[in-house]
Amino acid sequence: MATEFQRLPAEQLYQEEIDALIANEKDPVPTGWKMSPKSVLKYIVGGKAGKKVITPKYIGNDRLVEICIATLVTDRALLLIGDPGTAKSWLSEHLCAAINGDSTKVIQGTAGTTEEQIKYSWNYAMLISQGPSEQALIKSPVYRAMESGTIARLEEISRCASEVQDALISILSEKRISVPELSTELPAKKGFSVIATANTRDKGVNEMSAALRRRFNIVVLPAPSDMQTEIEIVKTRVEQLAGSLDIQAELPSDKVIENIITIFRELRDGQTLDGTQKLKQTSGVLSTAEAISLLANSMALAGSFGNGKISDYDLASALQGAIVKDEAKDADIWKEYLENVMKGRGEEYRGLYKKCKELNA
Amino acid sequence: MSSQKTPYLFGVRHLSPRGAYELVKFLDEKDPDIVLVEGPSDFNEMMADVCREETKPPFAFMAYTRESPIAVSIYPMAVYSPEYQAILWAHRNNKQCRFIDLPSGTFLCIGKEKEDAENEESENDAEPIGVRIKKAVGEETETWWERNIEYTAVDYREAVNEYGKQIRMSDNSRGKYDVAENMVRECYMKRQIEEALKEFSPEKTVVVTGAYHVSGLENCSALTDKEIKTLPSVPSLATLMPYSYYRLSARSGYGAGNNAPQYFEMIWDSLCKGDKEYTSYMYVTKIAEYMRANGGITSSAEVIETIRLAKTLAYMRGSRIPSLSDLRDSVISCIGHGNLSEVSKAFAFNEVGTKIGSLPEGVSRTAMQEDFYIKLKELKLEKYKSMCTQTIELDLRENIHVKTEKYKFIDLRRSFFFNRLGVLGIDFAKNQHKVQSRATWSEVWNLQWTPETEIQIVEAAINGDSVRLATEFVFKQKLEMASSIKEISAVISQACLCGMEDTVNAAVRSLQQFSVDAVSFGELAMSLEQLSNSVKYGSIRYIDTTHFIPVMKQMFYRSCIVLVSSCRCNNDAVRDVISAMSILNAVDTDNDFIDSEEWVKVLCDAALRDDINTKASGYAMSILLERSVFSSEQLSTEVQRRLSKGMPSDLGAAWFEGLSIRNHYTLITRLSLWEKLAEYVDTLDDEEFKRALVFLRRAFSSYSSLEKDQIAENLGEIWGVNAQQVSEVINSAVTEEQQEIIDSLDDFDFGDL
Repeated sequence: MATEFQRLPAEQLYQEEIDALIANEKDPVPTGWKMSPKSVLKYIVGGKAGKKVITPKYIGNDRLVEICIATLVTDRALLLIGDPGTAKSWLSEHLCAAINGDSTKVIQGTAGTTEEQIKYSWNYAMLISQGPSEQALIKSPVYRAMESGTIARLEEISRCASEVQDALISILSEKRISVPELSTELPAKKGFSVIATANTRDKGVNEMSAALRRRFNIVVLPAPSDMQTEIEIVKTRVEQLAGSLDIQAELPSDKVIENIITIFRELRDGQTLDGTQKLKQTSGVLSTAEAISLLANSMALAGSFGNGKISDYDLASALQGAIVKDEAKDADIWKEYLENVMKGRGEEYRGLYKKCKELNA
Repeated sequence: MSSQKTPYLFGVRHLSPRGAYELVKFLDEKDPDIVLVEGPSDFNEMMADVCREETKPPFAFMAYTRESPIAVSIYPMAVYSPEYQAILWAHRNNKQCRFIDLPSGTFLCIGKEKEDAENEESENDAEPIGVRIKKAVGEETETWWERNIEYTAVDYREAVNEYGKQIRMSDNSRGKYDVAENMVRECYMKRQIEEALKEFSPEKTVVVTGAYHVSGLENCSALTDKEIKTLPSVPSLATLMPYSYYRLSARSGYGAGNNAPQYFEMIWDSLCKGDKEYTSYMYVTKIAEYMRANGGITSSAEVIETIRLAKTLAYMRGSRIPSLSDLRDSVISCIGHGNLSEVSKAFAFNEVGTKIGSLPEGVSRTAMQEDFYIKLKELKLEKYKSMCTQTIELDLRENIHVKTEKYKFIDLRRSFFFNRLGVLGIDFAKNQHKVQSRATWSEVWNLQWTPETEIQIVEAAINGDSVRLATEFVFKQKLEMASSIKEISAVISQACLCGMEDTVNAAVRSLQQFSVDAVSFGELAMSLEQLSNSVKYGSIRYIDTTHFIPVMKQMFYRSCIVLVSSCRCNNDAVRDVISAMSILNAVDTDNDFIDSEEWVKVLCDAALRDDINTKASGYAMSILLERSVFSSEQLSTEVQRRLSKGMPSDLGAAWFEGLSIRNHYTLITRLSLWEKLAEYVDTLDDEEFKRALVFLRRAFSSYSSLEKDQIAENLGEIWGVNAQQVSEVINSAVTEEQQEIIDSLDDFDFGDL
């Protein structure tokens, strides 16, 4: 789909698929939902709706997606936890897109997020001139979701300060927000829920209180369990990205993807794939998402400055950037990996090895 | 009433609550006069014991061959086994009940042949039923079974019979041998059914069998007398034994897996209650209970949410009642905060459970059990048969205060008994190794009786009829399987502890045979050490060790021969060689029958040779010094030679390191040695000195500061300085200046040291 925007929300990007699923609906649809839980599952893990092929959005353990959907059916809030780059936000966006046809009610959690951003705030000019009124009220995404009986998304909830996180506790258990200034109360419509995402590994995150955790059903999203799944994920996503970003370069070959994933997995797990050699781990997480952006990056380099084909040089510089995050430590680990592992890998890696070595010389 | 020609066939899965429940309902309805159950036909007489009130499931029928190699088959029964419920029903209603499968002797016989045949079979590419189910519904067979057969199926009997038929159709996935075995079994069962039909009318006969066999039994023809006679068989024994849920889940003999017996019992309970959803409530509440008991905070709200989520998951699969996998996943998500690790223990506790069955006193006791209890009585250990751990201290020496011969050595005999139990894998007695390990006459044991112990004893029965015989058999098997000298030596020392002289002698013989083949120097030394210990401490256990002597002599001689060649090794390997040398020297001094002359000769050779690792040479030298073979003069000459300018300094220093490992005092007291060392250091130029320094430093690192003082005294004497001054220098902390010099050594190229 050609558009002037960098990135469209999921429900617009996959409009056709969503329409096809709604058209072919056979099972009962819960209140406030656009399609049945089974269709949501199909939208996320792939399948067929009538004649339309539904592309898989989340590749991995289908059961986890099933648990996520079942959680939302029971009007419980859902918390997705996982290392960076395990498709938490991705999954949360697509769940909302399929269930509500709207994935845009988002609060981006930061250290600066305030309680008002979660509940509501005021248009102060209006507040001063007219006093508290419905018009002067600025509704938060959560407020709007409660009003319309849809799902609000809270990204990176663990980055918010604890006080701000706590504001959610009463919302999730009472399912209503009181607005004392207007002496009213907003009860949530059926279908309202919250999907929060949190990562446990990054620095600068706040512990979530037990009280808040209890109000969520928690699903931990794992890093891709095996090589093949990860390759599949990377391949699908790189193709999609290349399409939407108009990159004028050839797609990376299967061999290139496999090599990159091998390097990532080995450094992430701290040992070679065959388990014979122990390796040092880098300070970065080296997630699947990073592998995807690395390849897209290389394609952009190749398309803009090269001959449209990803060269070893493009890969080497992208790898350097992805792996060496903390100059002092990571550089040594990467150099050691090059010498001890990659050098001995033979013809297939020869070109890449040489370029990497040059960059590190 | 229509005149029916065939009896009712009721297909079941062997461990299926719904199957058991529906079967009982079916029996009540049809009210047959005889119930025929799939199970070895020679088990019939055990049925009476099964029905006794004191019999508490889980229990198992066990059949085992009388002769080696021993084959065992176990038929476990839980409260929700359809077969068990069928037997109980017949007993309650005063109806006949019989097992109709092949006798266990035949089973064991074909089982053994099958194993051989299966090794040759190639992979078959037909799809097994499990793969087909997974493809069709995307769930594992177990979950699918639970959801569809245990809960949803309207007509259980029909559903299971159909399931059996489907398995049969994808039969190609089984081995050829398996198919043949099933054919024979079905024809045999058919024959038994026909026998029963002579006495009872078909509409008054119910056959309970695995679902798989239903269509087979419908179509096969019965075996003739002649054919039955040709069935192979081996002599075998059978017994009832208590069983545990743990065993049931970990190694149930049946193909029909049953990973969660405790959970299946919950299903059985809820079926009996007539409330199928009860299982889910029960399961999640028990998980919460376990979590709370173990320090977790699990609120009732979480329990409610868990059940809601599980129900929604089941609903998405088109079922009303959550399966175990739905429950599990919900528990992880709601109670475990997304982590399996938080709730995995609760899972194990509630799914597998700790339940252990029991049998009435005296029922089907194996010879092994009888022997065990007689021994307990004989050794006055009966009071230790309790659940709490009790400690007993043994004095293995003769008790001179007792009159009767019988009790003089009671502690020794107890020790033998405990050790034998250990070998048989019966955890009744555990040896608390004392700190004072050299006091061989004193032992401390912790005794604890658990229901699991009874099971272990029954299991040990497959090895023999008494504790002693079974132990002997286990040792024999170990010896036959042994692939290294080390394993045999271990048998020897264990057998000594068990007081089994015959086994010890047999083991010594096979040790001798083994040692003829090439073995490493280190292994020889270790085995000799074991033997030597047995000789040393054997007397307290009254083990005759005279047989050891020729073997030990032989092995010792072998070690002498290979010593020099073993010393040709690098600096890493030499450590093992040195410890082996030290062991051999100890063996030599401990046992006067060893040929010391040969040992000394070999050591001399090793000490004076220049073509072996110099550290080993040095070590050989130090042993010889200790044995006063070399005099001080000879030592000084050798020191001079080893540390002369022609020798590379690292080799020389390594030699000195070897020399100094063993006995610091013998060296310190020999002034001439230090003179030579001092001379040697003087001859080194700067480069060589740095090189030697590393080794010398290492050599002296194991010396205490007192010893260093004494060395300082020696050197002071030689250099003509005050001993105290030298000592101060040696023992003082490193100054900054020196540190710089040492640091610069880091960059020094030590070559390929």
